[in-house]
Amino acid sequence: MAWVNALLQGILIGGFYALFACGLSLLFGVMGIINLAHGDLAVIAAFIALTIAPATGLPIVWSFVLVVPIFAIGGYLLQRTLLQASLDRSPFTTLLVTFGLSVVIENVVLEVFTSNGQSLNIGSLIANSFNPSTAISISYFSLVVLAIAVVVLACLQLFLSKTMTGRLIRAVADDREAAQLSGANYRHLFAIAAAIAFATVALAGMAYGMYTEFSFSSGSANLLFAFEAVVIGGIGSLWGTLVGGVVLGIAQQVGAQINPAYQILAGHLVFLAVLAIRPRGLFGVRAAT
Amino acid sequence: MDTRDNKGEAVSTTDRNDQAQGANDPAENSLSRRAVLKSFGLGAAALGVAGVSNKGLGTLSNRRLTPLERGQAAGGSTLKIGYVSPETGALADFSQSDKYVLSKVRAAAAYAKGLKVGAHKYKVEITVADSQSDPNRAAQVAQQLVLQQKVDMIVTSSAPETTNPVAAACEQLRTPCLATVVPWESWYVGLGGDPLKPTKTFAYNAVFFFGMKEFAGTFLPMWNRIQKETKAAKVFAGMFPNDSDGNAFRAGFPPFAAKEGYKLVDGGAYSDGTTNYSSMIEKFKAAGCEFFVNAPLPPDFNTFWKQAIQENFRPKLATVAKVLLFPSDVIALGSLVNNIATDAWWTPWAPYKSSLTGESARDFAIGYQKQEGKEWVQSMGSAYSLFEVAVEAFMHSGDPHNKAAVAKALHNVSYSGLCGPIHFNKGPAPGVGIIYPVGIQWRPGKASADFGMKNPFQPFVVDNSLNKHVPINGELLPTNK
Repeated sequence: MAWVNALLQGILIGGFYALFACGLSLLFGVMGIINLAHGDLAVIAAFIALTIAPATGLPIVWSFVLVVPIFAIGGYLLQRTLLQASLDRSPFTTLLVTFGLSVVIENVVLEVFTSNGQSLNIGSLIANSFNPSTAISISYFSLVVLAIAVVVLACLQLFLSKTMTGRLIRAVADDREAAQLSGANYRHLFAIAAAIAFATVALAGMAYGMYTEFSFSSGSANLLFAFEAVVIGGIGSLWGTLVGGVVLGIAQQVGAQINPAYQILAGHLVFLAVLAIRPRGLFGVRAAT
Repeated sequence: MDTRDNKGEAVSTTDRNDQAQGANDPAENSLSRRAVLKSFGLGAAALGVAGVSNKGLGTLSNRRLTPLERGQAAGGSTLKIGYVSPETGALADFSQSDKYVLSKVRAAAAYAKGLKVGAHKYKVEITVADSQSDPNRAAQVAQQLVLQQKVDMIVTSSAPETTNPVAAACEQLRTPCLATVVPWESWYVGLGGDPLKPTKTFAYNAVFFFGMKEFAGTFLPMWNRIQKETKAAKVFAGMFPNDSDGNAFRAGFPPFAAKEGYKLVDGGAYSDGTTNYSSMIEKFKAAGCEFFVNAPLPPDFNTFWKQAIQENFRPKLATVAKVLLFPSDVIALGSLVNNIATDAWWTPWAPYKSSLTGESARDFAIGYQKQEGKEWVQSMGSAYSLFEVAVEAFMHSGDPHNKAAVAKALHNVSYSGLCGPIHFNKGPAPGVGIIYPVGIQWRPGKASADFGMKNPFQPFVVDNSLNKHVPINGELLPTNK
């Protein structure tokens, strides 16, 4: 029964990893940007939620109605300015720019919000769970996060395959010159993709803020898990990211079941194994989405 | 290795020139220079920081002292104290009260008007350096303070990541160094000593804080009281990460608990930053753990405790170390924090007074709440006492510019200040002064109990087994009924 619980817990935490990795996967799949500031952006989202909730009187759970649009707009603007400018130079510039962004964000957050650890308190909502059997307890909160991850990824998949804008984004990702010749404004399309990616980062950051305690420096640790989920699942595949997150989560829980010392290590080993045996990842396709 | 030693040689020689007038250099007697260098390397290794010593010595080799500079270093009417603490970075919480503490210290007569030692009067200057919570940086700034600022003493605070590299650098550069807010065992290991055979003297270093014995002495009486009340099984859960504090607890705490009849269920040496603790929690539940002790990073405890409640692990009493020290951690956990117990090494309710101004602990805390508009924190008392002890050491040194004499005086300080009585000559190891913590529980704050400030949560002293000076102002309640 302990193993069943480990498996279930792995799937639940996997949902969280997938939600976190979604924006990273999208930015990389569409624009080839490895966003090293991803984790720090999530932390900003949590801090903004923390500030907005008391200011507007919204319950903290509902503050996403404001945080997500703010992030989408921020993502659009950032892509049109800083990221696009660096993308026009070279992929290496992008890497350095996002790295610089990460450092700047950490220090600005430290200045504005101090070093104090914070958490988005949702009271007893976080503590509730149900027990299908005595050795298994499923937290409602984790289940909701998993559901959000699935819904977000499904919507994104639909958007990219069914809508005009989505198809244009894919076209630009596949062959920018050809798409441009056909009249696609790739700067605008990239910025839309960035807006969506940032919106998902906002959701992930808020989930993270409810899940644990965060401070200005906690972004980088999560970037690692998100990155692993993307690589395990396969770069450019959104469903792959979901599977990648779940595989990472299960690997960690199985490792922990053997010995808690192996929990993080087991995740890294699976990541390494995927890189070695199947560098494209489980569902990797060369082209985006 | 050769070049390193050569560089070390060059510096030590200049240093020895500086101290030509020092009557008897204790380091000459008890330790060879090579041994000091070696222990520095060990300290760095213990912290998992490869390259500390290399970097540090690199800074040294760039330095050339002119004879004039040397003359200034050895004399003058100004005493310089360097203060190294994590002003930024992951441990910056510990330093949130530094601004207030320094303003108080600088306003005290000894610092504002000058310090009279023998026939001379000295001006005292404090230079603050930020370790950025980074061991490499801490070693670097300590070197700079000694070699460029020419400080006469370094005081340092807040966690091994800052205090240990600073102490090691000071031992090497023969500069008196006083540390606090670091378990003395960790400090001693960092310098190259063995806490189980604490006979080795590190001539230039001293620390005041407490260790594993006092942690156990604070937590176990609380366990015993709850155990008697609830007749709970004497089985306890240990959540100890695979880091220096976690491993120190795993090795040091269970023997004390075993003496009182408590059996350990070890959750395993998990990595810092683990995101899911369900297998550990299931293990604790299956073994029927009724008590809980830990030494994790604050965010990890936050994650763990939320999951423990989700999975219905409800120990009768949780006593935590290293977390819930400051109000911000507590607020981050919200109402789930109720009746978790921890230790406090300083509280405003202690009947202690500043040895510099005579101001009471109570007024010191009230001043902070008024000036900063924030709840008092326990690190403010220990940070203040660093500067009290520094004055004591200078006063009794005879010649405050003689580093060897100051270091010797530091090891013999025996005084009473804002942290209570501290006797550096009677500790468990040479140069260790013990302060005695009390057990506290966090509960929703009351303005009447927190000097007129209504805080979301405040600590209540619930157990004073180790330190009867501090009055109890709250009842010890089980964490879970």
